[in-house]
Amino acid sequence: MNNHIAFARFHPAALFSYYLCLLLFTMFTENPVITALSLLGALYFCLFTGTARENLNDLKFYAPMFILVALTNPLFSHSGATPLFFMNDNPVTLEAVLAGVNIAATVAAVMLACKGFSRVMESDKLLALFGKASPKLAVVLSMALRFIPLFKRKWRELCDVQKAMGYFRGESRFSRLASYARVFSALVSWALENAADTAASMCARGFELEGKRSFSLFRFTRADGALIAASLALSAPVLAGFAMGKASFYFYPRISELPFDIFSVAMYACFAALSLLPFIFEVKEALKWKYLRSKI
Amino acid sequence: MKKDIIITLLIIMLVAVFVLATDFKSVEEYYLENAENVKEGDAAVVISIRCDTVLDNMEKLDPALAPYVPSDGTVLAETKYALREGDTAFDILVRAAKTHRIQMEYSGAKETKTVYIEGIANIYEFSCGDLSGWTYFVNGERPQVGSSACTLHDGDKIEWVYTCELSEDLLQGGAKNE
Repeated sequence: MNNHIAFARFHPAALFSYYLCLLLFTMFTENPVITALSLLGALYFCLFTGTARENLNDLKFYAPMFILVALTNPLFSHSGATPLFFMNDNPVTLEAVLAGVNIAATVAAVMLACKGFSRVMESDKLLALFGKASPKLAVVLSMALRFIPLFKRKWRELCDVQKAMGYFRGESRFSRLASYARVFSALVSWALENAADTAASMCARGFELEGKRSFSLFRFTRADGALIAASLALSAPVLAGFAMGKASFYFYPRISELPFDIFSVAMYACFAALSLLPFIFEVKEALKWKYLRSKI
Repeated sequence: MKKDIIITLLIIMLVAVFVLATDFKSVEEYYLENAENVKEGDAAVVISIRCDTVLDNMEKLDPALAPYVPSDGTVLAETKYALREGDTAFDILVRAAKTHRIQMEYSGAKETKTVYIEGIANIYEFSCGDLSGWTYFVNGERPQVGSSACTLHDGDKIEWVYTCELSEDLLQGGAKNE
């Protein structure tokens, strides 16, 4: 269990329903306010729970990705009423640029939220959650979530071995790229074999057998109920706002105006509370810990 | 080290070729090109752009576009353009879009004769149902080639029309049925 993250101490079912609510809203809207709030919430949570080194590495990945996605849209989408300049007689429009920024923000928000999700939901929690209903789903999910960290670890291992064998030394940058390609190809074949092995081993252990009980450390407490209730209560006004068209927004052909009235402000406030919930909880617990320690 | 420098130079050259091969124009530059008057006796063609079928299918139209559909279905009334040697239906459309500042997007390339008109005046393919898009007629007939492969002759009449039913609504009982 990730003991340094307070939010991870909730019951898997509560965490799962919270992230389900958050991701559904983030993925299915073009509304820039919702996207920005979701990005902020996920970003704060990841920054707060990660170490400085992890955060720096994340920045190195997310910043170029954001720029790349944002730039790609105006290159391929020429719709929109405000041309900035023309490229091969096709307009590059302001609307397409802004829509690109919005798409990039959505992608970053979803990826960061999933990062937060994988930090608080380790494979044992997924197994506890889905193990009874569908053991197959639980195994597939836990293998998928475990895949990237495992891949990274094995990558480092293979690079070290190759270095010990004398590769990578005194090579030019581009021959080093070729060496990395060799490591990558070895890594992929290893990963395929490893996945098949894991599945076969799970079968041999009888993970699908009837009447099998799985070991679970998690107890559903009042706090977990409160988290589910809070996710649902905060989602309901947002969902109502979506249904009433208060969140509807489009970029083409001309950027539409955001509806701005009491109801839409209330909707945004609810969504802000929903998306910032893990971060606020984390800060609250950290302050409480500091306060309690100061009294010793 | 030597290898590094050579490959870096190659990559820079490749990027430079792509950038230089792309034709960048400012908005004013683009719209002011080709503005010319047709004199008596010059070879000329007539072009019109219409989207009447959208008006019959307003319920299928993307709601964001409703304010952008002209109420009489005319994006561009019949207009005369000077015909230059080797002009295609696509060239005339580009020129008309420039002089009248009509938004237009295409994919493919003129040079390979693979141009496809995705949208004119913010009305795009699939904007009005799954079978909608732009098509064109020359002298009341549909050429069996793409617009960038269709070379025009003096006095030709080009009509760009929007269809909501894969051209069925244009061919049956409409103005094009002769």
